Parts: sequence; C-alpha cells; structure tokens
Amino acid sequence: MILKAKVYNKIFAFQSFKEVMAKANEEKSGDELVGIAAKSASERVAAKLVLSNLTLEDIYNNPVIPYEEDEVTRAIYDGLNLRIYQEIKSWTVGYLREYVLDHKTTGEDLAHISRGLTSEMIAATAKLMSTMDLVCGSKKMRVQSHCNTTLGVPGTLAFRCQPNHPTDSIEGMMASLKEGLAYGSGDAVIGINPVEDNVETVTRLLETVKNFMIKWEIPTQNCVLAHVTTQMKALEKGAPVDLVFQSIAGTQKANDAFGVSAAILDEAFALAQHKGSATGPNLMYFETGQGSEVSLDAHLGVDMMTLEARTYGYARGYRPFMTNNVSGFIGPETIYSGREVIRADLEDLFMGKLHGLPMGIAPCYTNHMKADQNDQEMGTLLCAMAGSNFFMGVPGGDDVMLSYQDTSYHDDASTREILGLRPLPEFEKWLEKMGILENGKLTERAGDPSIFDK
Amino acid sequence: MLESTNQRITSVGIDIGTTTTQLVISQLTIENTASGTLVPRVEITDKEVIHRSQIYFTPLLDRDLINAAAVSQIVESEYQAAGLTPEMIDTGAVIITGETAKKENAKAIIDALAGFAGDFVVATAGANLEAIYAGKGSGAAQYSAQRHQVTVNIDVGGGTSNYAVFHEGKAVDSSCINVGGHLIEFDRQGDRITYISEPAKIALESTGQRLQAGERVTLPQLRPIVKAMAECVVDVLKTSTHVGLTKELLMTPPLQLAQSIRKVMISGGVADYVYALNGPTTMAEVTAFGDFGPLLGWELRVSLEKAGFVLEKPNETVRATVIGTGTQSVNLSGSTIHLQENTLPLRNVMVISPFISTIPETPQKIAEVVKTQMLRLQVDHSEGVVAIAMRGPRTMSFADISILAQGLLLGLEDYLSTDKPLIIVIEADCGKVLGQCISASANRSLEMVCIDQLEVENCDYIDIGKPLMGGRVVPVVLKTLVFNR
Amino acid sequence: MAVANNELEKVIIQSVMEELAKKGLLSQKGKDHVMSAAMMDTPIVPNTESKEMVTFPPQEEMQISNPFNADAVKAMKKLTPARIGIGRAGTRPKTMSLLRFLADHAVAQDAVFLDVSEEFLQRMNLMSVQSAAASKDEFLQRPDLGRRLSVEAVKTVSEKCEKNVQVQILIVDGLSSSAIEANIPDLLPALMQGLKSSGIKVGAPFFVKNGRVWIQDHVASIVNSDLIISLIGERPGLGTAESLSAYMIYRPNENTVEADRTVISNIHKGGIPPAEAGAHLTDVIKQILAAKASGVKLNQQK
Repeated sequence: MILKAKVYNKIFAFQSFKEVMAKANEEKSGDELVGIAAKSASERVAAKLVLSNLTLEDIYNNPVIPYEEDEVTRAIYDGLNLRIYQEIKSWTVGYLREYVLDHKTTGEDLAHISRGLTSEMIAATAKLMSTMDLVCGSKKMRVQSHCNTTLGVPGTLAFRCQPNHPTDSIEGMMASLKEGLAYGSGDAVIGINPVEDNVETVTRLLETVKNFMIKWEIPTQNCVLAHVTTQMKALEKGAPVDLVFQSIAGTQKANDAFGVSAAILDEAFALAQHKGSATGPNLMYFETGQGSEVSLDAHLGVDMMTLEARTYGYARGYRPFMTNNVSGFIGPETIYSGREVIRADLEDLFMGKLHGLPMGIAPCYTNHMKADQNDQEMGTLLCAMAGSNFFMGVPGGDDVMLSYQDTSYHDDASTREILGLRPLPEFEKWLEKMGILENGKLTERAGDPSIFDK
Repeated sequence: MLESTNQRITSVGIDIGTTTTQLVISQLTIENTASGTLVPRVEITDKEVIHRSQIYFTPLLDRDLINAAAVSQIVESEYQAAGLTPEMIDTGAVIITGETAKKENAKAIIDALAGFAGDFVVATAGANLEAIYAGKGSGAAQYSAQRHQVTVNIDVGGGTSNYAVFHEGKAVDSSCINVGGHLIEFDRQGDRITYISEPAKIALESTGQRLQAGERVTLPQLRPIVKAMAECVVDVLKTSTHVGLTKELLMTPPLQLAQSIRKVMISGGVADYVYALNGPTTMAEVTAFGDFGPLLGWELRVSLEKAGFVLEKPNETVRATVIGTGTQSVNLSGSTIHLQENTLPLRNVMVISPFISTIPETPQKIAEVVKTQMLRLQVDHSEGVVAIAMRGPRTMSFADISILAQGLLLGLEDYLSTDKPLIIVIEADCGKVLGQCISASANRSLEMVCIDQLEVENCDYIDIGKPLMGGRVVPVVLKTLVFNR
Repeated sequence: MAVANNELEKVIIQSVMEELAKKGLLSQKGKDHVMSAAMMDTPIVPNTESKEMVTFPPQEEMQISNPFNADAVKAMKKLTPARIGIGRAGTRPKTMSLLRFLADHAVAQDAVFLDVSEEFLQRMNLMSVQSAAASKDEFLQRPDLGRRLSVEAVKTVSEKCEKNVQVQILIVDGLSSSAIEANIPDLLPALMQGLKSSGIKVGAPFFVKNGRVWIQDHVASIVNSDLIISLIGERPGLGTAESLSAYMIYRPNENTVEADRTVISNIHKGGIPPAEAGAHLTDVIKQILAAKASGVKLNQQK
C-alpha cells in the first residue's frame, strides 16, 4: 500500500489510509474543525493521487474503524458479497471511477458490483470525482422500492410533503398538507416532524393524515418522524404507521447518541412488517447527513464523507423505502457554505446510489450558514439531473418548525416541469383526477389548498 | 411546587328558560400544552359532558313568578342522579334565558341556587351571551371554523329567538327577537287559546287578526300569524334596517350583517320541528305541548328556504344552550400571572374599563382617568370589589408597563385604603410583569390578582376561581347579570 | 402641485405630437405610443423628498387568484405561520413571495453575521468581553472557541466582576445579535427588578461577544455565583430573527451536561414578550436557588 505521492516538485507522505481519505476530500468546515483536512491544495491532490492507486483489497484490509470496535463496520462487512468482492478486489480506485463512468457500464452492472463494495471503497471513488462525474455516475443508477406505491420509477420525481407545524397543531399541519398536495407534492411520503416526541402526538398526527389519505384516496405513504422507539410504541398501540423513520450515522458512538442500535432497528423493522399499515416490502425511512458524527463528537477522527458512506452501508441491510440526505441541515461547523452543501449533496447522492439505496436529497441550508436560496436551487437542479428519487416539499421553502430552508412546493413542481419528469404513476392519476395536473403540468386550479374544503 | 401536567375540573351549566329548565355536568381537562423549553401555556384541552338532565318544564308559581324552590329541587335531584355533591363542582354558570330573564325574580333563583349549586356556580345571562352559548352548544361555531363558512345559529325557544353569527369559530354578531313557540298557549292537543303574550298580541295586530284568550282557533286562522312571526325571524338575516313587526319585536339592535350569511342552524325547543319531514296538519299536532312550537318550526323552515338560506343540522337542538353554558362559560387566564392573595374565589367582581382608547402617557394622567371613572361609578365607598380591565399598556416596553403600574396605584389610592384586593385584568400578555411592577412601586404589601390574556370588555361582572395547576392559572367566568339590566 | 404639473406635461406633449403628426413626421401608432407613455403618472424626475415607499403587503394577505374557497384559505393562513396561500406565477412563486423570502433570509443572516452595536452596549451600560472566537466566521466554524472566554476576557472578568453573588447575568450574542438588541432593553430591567424585589444578590450583568451557551460555565468558574443565567440569541428562523433563550444553571462544574440547564426559549414580541419573560424568569430563578439544582435535577425535585 503506497501512501506517498509526488505532485510536481512536492512530495507528500501520509501515515494511514484514514488520513488519505480525509485529505482527499474537497474543502468542508467539519474536516477543518476536526483538524484532519488537507493543509494545502497540493496536499489534497496528493491524497487523491495516493487514493487512485490503492486497490479495493487495500481498502478492505483497512477499515477506518476496526470491525471489533464498531457495529457499523460489522454491518458493512457482514453484509458484503464476498464472491463479487473477490472478482474486483484487484481494481484500483482510479479504475473503479472509470468503470463507473464508462459507457459500457450499465446501472445493472453497478448494482451488481455494489454488493461487493464496502462503504470506504465507495467513498474513495467519490473523492476522485468532480461535480459532473458525480452527476454522470448517479444518473446511471436507478433504485426502486415499494411501500404502498413504487418510488424511483424511471422518468419520475417524487416529493415528501413536509407539513410541519411549530406546535404540532393538527389544523395548522393540515393546512400545509393541503397546500402541498395542491402543488403535486407528497407522492414519496407525507412525513411530519413532530415537536413533541410522544406516543399521543405521533398517533394523533398519523391518524389524521391516514384518514385524510383514505377520504381523498391519495396513493402515498404516511410517516411521523419521531424517534424510532416512540414510533414503535405507537405501532404497538395500533397507530397507522406506513414507514418507520430514524436518523442514523456512520459510527456506533454517534448512533448511541441518537439512541439507536442494530438491535433496535431490527426490532423496528420486524414490528413494521407485523403491525404496520403499509404493503411493503420496503418499510423504513432513514435520514442521514455529513457532519452529524462531528456535531455529536463521535467521528473518531474519520472524515465526514467517509462516515456518511458508512451510514449508507449500515442502512442498506434494512432495505429502506427511502433514504434522505440532509447534509445542509447539520450546521456551519460541519458544512459552511452553499458550495460545500452542493458538493456534499452530490457526493451523498452518488454514494447512496452505489450502495443500492433509494436516495433522495434535501439540498437545504440553515440561516447561520453562508448559503442562500440560489445555492439551494442550483443544488436541487443538479441532484435532479443526477436522478435523485425524491426531494422534500416545504411551504414556501421555509420550515417553520425546524427553522431551515428546503425545496418548496413551487420548486417541486418547477423541477418536474424543467426536466420533463412526472409524479409517481399512481399519484399522477390521482392529481389528474383532482384536476391539479394535466399532461405533467400544473392546471389553473393547482396551488389552491381550499379545493379540499367542499 | 408540584406541577401536574393536567388537571380535571367539573363544571355545571344550568339553563332556566321560558319553557324548560335543564342542567348538564361536564368535565373539562386543563393541560399545559407548551412543550419543553417554552413558557407554560395552560389550556382547556377536552370537554366531556358527563351528565345530561331530563328536560323539565320550568316550574312557575304563576305566570310571572318562577318557583325558585322547585328549581333548586330539580338541581339537587340531578346532582344526586349524577352522583355528585355540590362540593365536587368546581365552576359553572346558571343562565336565565328568554322571557324568564325579564322577570324580576331572577335574583331569587340565583340566590336559591348559589347556596348549594357548588361553591362556585353563579348566574350568567343576557341575550347576547345566551345566543353565543347556544351557537357553541349546537355546533354552529365549530361548523363555521371547520367549513370556513359564516354560520348563524338561531336558538328558537319558548319566548325568544337568539341569533349568533360565527366566523371561523368566533362569535362576530348577535341579536334577539321576541319570537318563540310559547307566546300563545293552548289546551294541550286542543284548539282553545288559554293565553296570549304581549309580543303575540303585537303580531296579531299587525296581521289584522283578532284572537282572544278563551277562543278556539283553526289552523288556517293561526297559520298567518305564525308565518308572520317566522318571517320576522328570517328578516333579521336579510337586512339590518327594519320596519313594522320585525322592528317592534326586536329586543336588541339587529344583526349588523357585515358578512353575508348563507348557512343557518336552528337550535332550541322548536328546532326539531324545523328539521322534521312534514309540517303539522292538524291543530292537535300543533298544540301537542300546549303551544304552537311545531307550527313555528315548520313555518320557519319554509321561510328560510324560500329566502335561499341553507339549513344545516345542529349537533344539539333543545340542549344547545345548556351544553354551551356548561362547557363554554369557563375561561382560563394567561399562564404567567401575578397572584398575591388568599381570598380566591371571588364572586361578582364588577368590571371597570376606565380607558376608552389608549392609555395616557404619564402615571398622573393614568391616575386621573382611573379616579374619575371610580368616582363616576361611586365605587370607592361601596361594598363591592372591582376589577380594573384594559387592553394593555401603551406599548409592551418595560418602561410603559412601569408607568401603567404607577398610574394604577395612584388612581386607586382611595379604593385600596379600604383594604380591598387590587384586581387587574389585562388582555396583553404582561400580567406577571405588571403585577411585579405594582408590587415594586407600592410601599406596602398588597393583596393582588393581576391576570392577563382575557377579553372582558363587554361584560359587567366576573367570577375568579381558585387557582389551578399549581397557581399557574385561574378560571374566570364572564357574566352579564340580568337583574342589573 | 404634482397633478397640475402632470396635466401641463400632458397638454404640452399632446400638442407637440399633433404638430409632428400633421407634418407627417410621426405615425399614428408612434403618436399613440408616446401619448400612452405620457398618460402614465410616472414622474420623469424621481422625487427624493417624497415619503412614499415600497413595502410588502400584509403577511396574511391571500395571494391565490380565484380560490375555490377564499375564506378557507384565509383561515388556513391563520392556523400556521407556514408560507401557504401564496399563489404562483407558473410553477414559481409570485414576485412578492420571492422578495419577502429574500428579505426574511436577509434579516436572519444579518442577525447572525452582524455584531451587537457599541452604541447599544453603552446605552444599556453593559461591560463587553469576547469569547476565544476572534471573528464571526471562526465563531460559526469552531464551536469550541465560543465556549470559553478569551485570555483578555478572563482577566477583565476576574478584575471587574463581583464574586460570590447569588446570580450572575450574562448577555450573549450567540446566533442572533438582533435578539439581544430587540429584547434586552425590556427583559433586563424586569428581571433586575424582580430579583431585587425578592432580595436576591445579583452581580452586574455584562455582555459576551461571539459566545455560546457553555461559556456560562467558564464565567461561573471565575465569578463563583450560585446561579448563572445566559440570555442568548437563538438561531434565527425566517419567521423571526429576534428570538432569545435563557439558559440557567446552578453551580456548573466540569461534569456538567446539557440536561443540567433549565431553558426558557422563544422570548420575543411574537412569543413570550420580553418584559413578561423577565418576571417569569425571576420565579424560575427563585425555584432553582431554593432547590439548589437546575435542569433535569430541578424537575426531579418538583
């Protein structure tokens, strides 16, 4: 394993694979904060150069966190298809990048090798890719999943309608939900972040939305994004849970801080299968984001991007219906600017897809970052071109409960129309029946939440 | 400092109307609904009716005199039926409605009831409030909020019809007209008139009929009179300028009709006949209860539909007012208030709103206004306890709140010299800091209740209950006492 | 005056046009075009003296053209602060929605990135010290630096602050300088009055620039107060950039965790008004002092 590189007249020597992985990253404030980022532009390129020459076997032999010490590492290695790994272990990372981008390589091919790739291998590949590389690679991969409806159908773009309310007011939430549906948002899921993480609130929100879905025959899925254990209690009591949600991270220590473990997730998945209200087979909804391990002080000296890849490695065993990335939500100490967010979003989309996950992106930002609406819209369009399965839908782009900005209902409709993408098939039929959409375009009637108030 | 997250209180509502007397007992759940790090916000989160009485005919000694003793017996027996004793009742209201409210003996009932109808049950009435309670009890208020449509509730009782207009759940307009099903009395299931009330005489005159008590009457003879009365009720929904019979029968200013009305709900004793499949076809059907309620109900429906109004069915008809009274009469103060006294509960606290528009700029000027008003109402030397009510300080700045505190203290000097408690009711969310400022400015310790987030502008008296939720809030009943009108 | 000028202007333009048209120097279409421009009441020279200005329409205004049930949309807007009932231009927001969003974001960013003004600190008579974070950029990217005082600040606090008081009040900019300027003028005097009336000994409040919540632990270790309270700017949302939180802790030490703090949030004119919050905080502080505990430990004693 060669850890030394010469960039023109300068020689850079690295101590470990972990250091190479960190220094090969594009600039992000979280890696700076931890003190593992490249010290110069040349050092960054040197790290990429070293990385390009490493074989997948080198990486296999050097997990960034030891197998014995970390549940996430174990999930990644235990889930690996060793036969496929054996076939490709002599590939270098540089070759893997070219293989991904090669015209002859199809999405099917990538889905196949995906099973023989550890998360570090996938992260390493993405570190060698530019913005357009990431879009080209991502676009090839299409991951479908099914809960009540099918997500990821080619030619479609779906949205999670996110009608959050600062005090969990049912009426207030419903108002935002109706507005979202009237813009065609909500085919991925109707997903609410509650303020109060308790069984009563979660059940009340789930039942309200489910009844509304039944009354108006809306083909979608239902989810309240409380802590997984709260949702499990609600499920036990008979609440109509279509999707079980949880935030997860790339180290066992960070997952401990989130209050989750493989054992809890296993139990949740089993409970969703036995007592949930959805068809399945995909019943889980995960959220992830670069930097969560840093903000929880649980990064163990590993860079944010690699940890994010490991999170996907952890997630894939649960065959989620959807995995949403919220890197822009974590904060300026991890991702500082609009440029950093866009880069992270594209990396995450690519890495998630190469893990075989049905990825969506929230190209979002908070008010204490150096980012604005323009950055967000650029990120959204790039991720849509890269074939994100879904985005969020927030009224006017302003989440009044979580206090951050995300794709608006308007952005949802715009992105579909710009790229000629359609809602999920069942949902499109429903939108047409409601007179909201016609030939893939919003009708005159669209955007009016009062169409539900007869 | 034990603070439970919720508490239940038992509330009684008693409606003594022209024709019927009813009672409901409900349980209100109050809870701190604010999450984690927010300042507590205590609200009524659930209202459950746990006991509904029979519907009694209001016991009368004679036509003008209610049998107070009999009313209290009714209440007593209903408490027994519900398995409750007066001590178990936390709050509530007695509402004396319709024709009965005009009668001079209302005070006697209230006195007869206050003794044992729970520590905290008191009289509340007034046509406007009654109308609003009925509309809340019938479900009209809720309908207007859920369907986002202006909805009027007309509670048609024995003597009066009370209108309350609701917009998004809030009462925005109310009125009362002297039309009811009991204004002419008959032999039961017969056709002989036994009594004709004053308003009915006016209606007779205007329709050119000459009926007298003791006469027999046919349905074709009676119908035009009842129709005329029903049309008066509908007129009030159509215009705000009235002539003729409608004008004569209106007991309060008419509806303003700032927003046009399409949806109508009818509650009260007559309501069931409005929603019946067929109208009465014989005099015996009309006078089944010794009055003409069934005919009035049917004619009202005909007139409403002819005028293009859409009738919606209420959740409650004859019990609307009592349910509204039982479940809606209690308000909670804001959750940051200043209490420094031991005398709660306080009953029949006279409300004085000294500031007509804005609060003056200096303590001296504020004091002047307060003093003038207290003098005008001759409060200082009377026995009663008063509450000073206002919308808020000039601004929500600490400086303006301090100025208001000083002004109030100065203005109430004489009143406070008699050792009465200082009671302030303020709409803006600044009760606690205003109380603190008053305390800090006073050179002695004061008995004080300074509560906020209550609108008391249009009421004459309030009852302030014992503090709930570890002293966070107090329940307040707003009332208009009939015998002062 | 303006009206008269306009009228005169129109008359002049019209006669010139007519003369030109007569001479065949101007087509009918050209004449119409110029006249229609002249008919518009746009002054040719901007009047900088005028008090007229462009503002946003009221937030509650319903922006949907021809809604199915306008009352329903208006009612829905009242039920949530979310941006609903805002209509659209094609699939995009209307101009006013877009500009309002930009304005709200601008206000939020200014709250984060601008400092509390010197003038404000002087007016409030507040001593000012700084955390170890030298700039806003550093403050945002290095949370660790915002959690402790600069070397110079340690010296200032050691020298100037009264020691062993019952309560020390800190005013910390945190993520919103606007929250400080908007709330402290009414909150601080109400809180000081409440504590004084209760006979509680309070050290002189002072201001910490580029500070985070945990900096209170560092200050407490120097002034040795029983209780330390930070009044700190919250991360702005687009709804308000002026929200303030109060974090209180009883005798913090190196084992202190987040749950040991008692927090009251959402202090601003649209939440709990600052003066009322001051009175409420007095009660909370009294409880903490009596229980000799804060945060979860305080709740367990209740």
